Amino acid sequence: MQSLLRNVCRAGNRGAAARLLEFAAPVATQPPSSAIKHLRPCGFTPPTGLDQFLCVQNRFISRDGVPASSGFCAKVLMTRGLSTVGTAEVAEDEDDSSSPAVEHPPRIKFKRPDKTARHIMNILNKEAVEKVRTEREIPDVQPGCIIQMRLQVPENKRRESTLKGIVIARRNAGINTTFRLRRLVAGVGVESVFPLYSPNIKEMKILDRKKVRRAKLYYLRDRMNALKK
Amino acid sequence: ILWVSLHEQIRTFIQMRTNLKVVDNSGAKRVMCIQSLRGKKGARLGDMIIGSVKEAQPRGKVKKGDVVYGVVVRAAMKKGRSDGSEVQFDDNAIVIVNNKGELIGTRVFGPVPHELRKKKHLKILALAEHIV
Repeated sequence: MQSLLRNVCRAGNRGAAARLLEFAAPVATQPPSSAIKHLRPCGFTPPTGLDQFLCVQNRFISRDGVPASSGFCAKVLMTRGLSTVGTAEVAEDEDDSSSPAVEHPPRIKFKRPDKTARHIMNILNKEAVEKVRTEREIPDVQPGCIIQMRLQVPENKRRESTLKGIVIARRNAGINTTFRLRRLVAGVGVESVFPLYSPNIKEMKILDRKKVRRAKLYYLRDRMNALKK
Repeated sequence: ILWVSLHEQIRTFIQMRTNLKVVDNSGAKRVMCIQSLRGKKGARLGDMIIGSVKEAQPRGKVKKGDVVYGVVVRAAMKKGRSDGSEVQFDDNAIVIVNNKGELIGTRVFGPVPHELRKKKHLKILALAEHIV
């Protein structure tokens, strides 16, 4: 019964909650106050609307006598209860959606925390990428490009080293988009992975774009061409 | 050399029985690692190892069968840097040192990473052709 109530809390969806409560009401023989006390300390703090809802539920369940009829009454009373809950939750929902400054006109009324968090992370990622893009002009590096870039590394004594090489892989991950550069340094092949939006990269220039039919050109490791690698 | 999937080749540590190239003019050509002096799993870029010389030039400072110390200057395993970049070389190479860390040879060939600066192998950095 407690688990059912918890499911009701979490599902939040009108129809699902109705169905769950229909099953819950006949089962509700124990005092639901204990169930509610049990629910309070759980991390998912229900908004005040839900508290009201639970109280309503508490009230009508305690008034219950016969399970069969209570099922029907449960549905009616509970939908009434849910309407108040619905408005309360929408209000809280708007608070949350205004913080990332994005409007969602036909938004689902009931907030799902995991969905919202991922959504916020996506938005943060995009904002960070936009911020870097407005400061520096970053060309579109794709596998097969031959790139010349100027890198400033504070741990190296002399800054502004120039690297020239071919991009053999690119990994898209929002702000952490990295690309792999392969170059021949003093006769030895060196592969480096750089974050695309790193502030250490001062300038990037595309010299040439080779036609490749692959996203990751790891086969180039075995074919050491004499020219540009 | 491990293969996780068909595309990614993951190189691992330098451990016992690893063959390494010698890139200085101390006389040795190939060294087999017999002990890594740092790390439980093995040595990485910039660490010291103990090795046994397997192949040497006829007239050099070290001979075949000598037990020598070496500093790893090129590792096929990628090494992360503090700015988020990573670097990896195509082969494993060492420079022969004595147990205090001083170079035996007088020249170093090929590129070296600037991780050696932090490990205080400044002589190697000074002699290197190219610092990555």
